[in-house]
Amino acid sequence: MIFAVACGDDKYQVPSAKREFQDDCIKRSLGPNLVNYRLEFAYAMALPQDMGKIVSAQVEASIPGVVDLVTPTNGTFLEHRAYSTDGGGNDKPVQVADPSSTEGGLTQVNFTRDTFAVTLRYYYKIPPEAKGQSVNFTFSATDSNGKTVSMKMGPYTVSSMDMTLDSIVTDNTDMYISISDMSIYTAAQAAANPDKIDLVYLYRALVQPPAPAAALTFKHALVAPAVDPTYLPGVTLPAGVNKNTKIIKVLSLRDQQLARLQYGIFIDDLDFKNLDTSTASNFAINLKNEAGTWVETADGQYRAYIYINAVNDASKNMRISMKRLKLF
Amino acid sequence: MKKYSNIKIVAALLLVLVSAVRCSHDYPIDEDGLLVTTRASCYVSNFDLLGTDFISVVTSTTVIPATPTTPAVPSTRNVVIDTTAQTISVQVALGTDLKNLYPQFTLVTDAKLNPKITGKTDFSDLANPRKWTVISGNRKVRKEYTVTVTVQQ
Repeated sequence: MIFAVACGDDKYQVPSAKREFQDDCIKRSLGPNLVNYRLEFAYAMALPQDMGKIVSAQVEASIPGVVDLVTPTNGTFLEHRAYSTDGGGNDKPVQVADPSSTEGGLTQVNFTRDTFAVTLRYYYKIPPEAKGQSVNFTFSATDSNGKTVSMKMGPYTVSSMDMTLDSIVTDNTDMYISISDMSIYTAAQAAANPDKIDLVYLYRALVQPPAPAAALTFKHALVAPAVDPTYLPGVTLPAGVNKNTKIIKVLSLRDQQLARLQYGIFIDDLDFKNLDTSTASNFAINLKNEAGTWVETADGQYRAYIYINAVNDASKNMRISMKRLKLF
Repeated sequence: MKKYSNIKIVAALLLVLVSAVRCSHDYPIDEDGLLVTTRASCYVSNFDLLGTDFISVVTSTTVIPATPTTPAVPSTRNVVIDTTAQTISVQVALGTDLKNLYPQFTLVTDAKLNPKITGKTDFSDLANPRKWTVISGNRKVRKEYTVTVTVQQ
């Protein structure tokens, strides 16, 4: 009886459109806002067809974004094309305005085609000077009646992290990794900058004892130079390479920005700040595809997450991507 | 709609009343809020150790293929649980971070473990093995298990 009386239908009325110029905005990009990477917004504006048309649209960023002069679509810009999606899921552009112009923080497009409703995408390439700060955006549009609508977005905090993608480390050659300058060194280069070296990469295929002894695997490894020699078989470190870096091995932490896979996981500044390295070891062996390691430099100045994009047993190398935060 | 509202309230009250009187048994519970039962069995039925990547670090023997005279020997995990001697011997892989391991016990029905496992456990002191006490379902039998870890060479 309770069920019978509880479900009354409410009458639905199709809402009537407002007779005015309106706008709306969403942020499309997800995850931490990294320097040199782009924020993406979609800005929608519309007015009833009989009331006029849209004349211009503009975005003002509180910190001017990076503009790419060679390929403008790689930098900060406001789309001059509206997109629809075809049956195959592909974006189909329709040009509605002249390409945008950017001066300082202001990016603007002037419409060249009669338009009364459109959604324009806006890309903002984060400049290095915005690191650790927050950035605001004001989207606005003007119609042919002189009416302006505007919308504030933000503030968005720009991450203090740095990121490098797809470095190749190779056993016996490019095997010394520096967290402080996020690059890979050979033995000769490491000997010249021993205080920069935080990690050693190596690949070893160990001799398997006869069955039924358990499988002995070493394979791809990231170890601190100061690790127990068991984990540096056959490696003679260049003089002065002796840092005791902290390492925590993890699996399935596939950060979207590092892995660029389908997983919606993002490592943010806070993850580095909250990381507990008090019991961390200084080696990680038998690393596999899509695994990773948290790393803290011996002086505690940097924390990093190294993601393993791919391992190759035959050529004894790994493709790695790194996010890093400077703590002090 | 209005004429039904009284009926709805009465029906709701009846439901509350029914549920209130149906669950009034007092079962004994222990200090953790767990049910104390009549079971006196007290043992560990399975054990595993997970690394910081939540993958088991326990090694497994490799398969010995069959020969014309002997059958194949399948792979087995290197965990030996002796419920008489109350010991667990486990071999972990080369490169295991012994300071950061997550032990996993499987116990007989209704039993519990003391101390409780709340996170990472340090097994790096190989000379002094870690100990846990299994407490039976009736909370009257207590057996202390010693976990001995050896690292694959």
